[in-house]
Amino acid sequence: MKLLVYAMTKLRGKNTVNIIEAKNVSVIFDSYGDVIKAVDQVDFVLPKGQTIGVVGESGSGKSTFARVLSGLQLPTSGSVTFMGKPIQSGRNTYEGALRKEVQMVFQDPYGSLNPRMRIVKAIAEAIRQHQGLDKKASRVAALDLLESMGISNLDAQKFPSKLSGGQRQRASVARALSAQPSVLIADEPTSAIDQSAQAQLLGLFNDLIKKGLSIVLVSHDLGVIRYLSDYVYVMKDGIFVESGKSEEIFNNPKEDYTKKLISSIPGRSIK
Amino acid sequence: MSGNHLLEIKNLKIDVRVTKKRRLSIVDTASLIIEPGQIIGLIGESGSGKTMLCRSLVGTLGRRGAYIASGQLKFDGIDLISAKQSVWNEIRGKRIGYVPQSALAGPNPVMTIGAQLAEAILQDENFPKADLEKRSLELLNIVQIRRPETVLKQYQHELSGGMKQRVMIACAIAQQPQLIVADEPTTGLDVTVQAEIMELLKQIRKDFNTSIILVSHDLPLINEICDDTVVMHAGTTVEKIPSKSIKASKHPYTLALYNSRIDLVVPKGQLKTINGQPPSVGSWPEGCRFSERCDFVKDKCRVKQDLPLITIGTSHETSCLRYDEIAR
Repeated sequence: MKLLVYAMTKLRGKNTVNIIEAKNVSVIFDSYGDVIKAVDQVDFVLPKGQTIGVVGESGSGKSTFARVLSGLQLPTSGSVTFMGKPIQSGRNTYEGALRKEVQMVFQDPYGSLNPRMRIVKAIAEAIRQHQGLDKKASRVAALDLLESMGISNLDAQKFPSKLSGGQRQRASVARALSAQPSVLIADEPTSAIDQSAQAQLLGLFNDLIKKGLSIVLVSHDLGVIRYLSDYVYVMKDGIFVESGKSEEIFNNPKEDYTKKLISSIPGRSIK
Repeated sequence: MSGNHLLEIKNLKIDVRVTKKRRLSIVDTASLIIEPGQIIGLIGESGSGKTMLCRSLVGTLGRRGAYIASGQLKFDGIDLISAKQSVWNEIRGKRIGYVPQSALAGPNPVMTIGAQLAEAILQDENFPKADLEKRSLELLNIVQIRRPETVLKQYQHELSGGMKQRVMIACAIAQQPQLIVADEPTTGLDVTVQAEIMELLKQIRKDFNTSIILVSHDLPLINEICDDTVVMHAGTTVEKIPSKSIKASKHPYTLALYNSRIDLVVPKGQLKTINGQPPSVGSWPEGCRFSERCDFVKDKCRVKQDLPLITIGTSHETSCLRYDEIAR
């Protein structure tokens, strides 16, 4: 696998800088005496400006792996580096200036926003914190950002509980983007968004990719992965069973598991 | 005629209390008919009132400060609008099962999964308690949860998103209800599990002649599993169409939704989005509520008027004034 990662990196262009690299990462949980290997000795690279998709069944370890990359979960063994530097020192991760470089969008939009803050205030605070703008300018920037995410100025004044699930998810993507990160780790960003909003969000992601943002996209939605990803990792029981260029994985899957995933996409017949 | 329908919703209007005097309509003129054994897909953008419509079917509108202002809502001949708590207790969970939208946060955080399943199973007072564990395991097996014995002892934070959702479905089908209202049951699940759960819902329909309302954003999914699709926009039902012929829709909103599918474009290609934002509750335009975003709009669409569903074919109804001029 290490050789494969090395070859892969070489193949993807000599000038490509790997922004995040994970080597031999394992995460082991103890649950009522059962030892659960959520992530089992995996290697991973995120080249700058690329979008990497991670797909797999629920419980396969993709969310845990995303948390390791974002520094929220310490690996049991193995290492993660950001631009060649380890992200972890002791029990801390992404210290100092690195903190805002990697931002995460969570699976559960309900948990990512402060329920007692109006959306615009929550985003403005993040912008003030990360971009050093004053109160007024950060508010204007927040409204602009929310507008580009499809949340009108009227809705931006509301509390998270007053928004629909899709709007809340878009607000949490806006919060992550407010730090102007160079890497966005998105864990099921589209799962609670309706189709037209999903089209808007994916269009926005597409623009961000063009501007050079690197994205790790964890999703069960193979349509979303196919649309955005340059490279795809297929995860099962904590290991990557297959990885390859997006079009190769979707047009010519090698593993049975990948074939099963692709054949489960609904509506292939009604195109 | 109406006695034969399992569920009949006619011109339902749901209001929410904003302040003591101020009321806002969140669902307005929603109509829906379901026959026994039918699977209906309910689609529409966030905030179009799908969830509120579902909540009215299990009588939990009050928890959100909402209530039914007018219209008809009949389940198997029983008027649900005037139903007392005792009637609801016989219907909710027993004859109408509900899989909530927020299944990710659905299970009670301070109860074990086993205790929650027991609660769902013991709604039937005659159920022998000795068989409780057996039935719990059986339900978890139906929804294909691995290691069901361990899961019974676990709390919700120890389960993955997909497993939580399957637990909620297990609770909903515990009493073998006549109607299952599944509000985005597979949101957050990966495709293989989604395919399994759809198979499971189809199997439940086949075995028990259960009717299902399936709310989803996933148009291809709705197309594959549902007999008919009902499209909601800004609190109204704008079209009802057999799922197989959704391409031949006669409402610009349904067509716009269909065209925004990502599987219709090449990777990183230009996606067709719907113009503008869905109108916010309380600021719906007069006349057709899609008029401000519609490519086919004419002046007559903006005139203040009622736009009832017009039958234009076999189980095909649309509210578009210009339906006969729409060609895809």
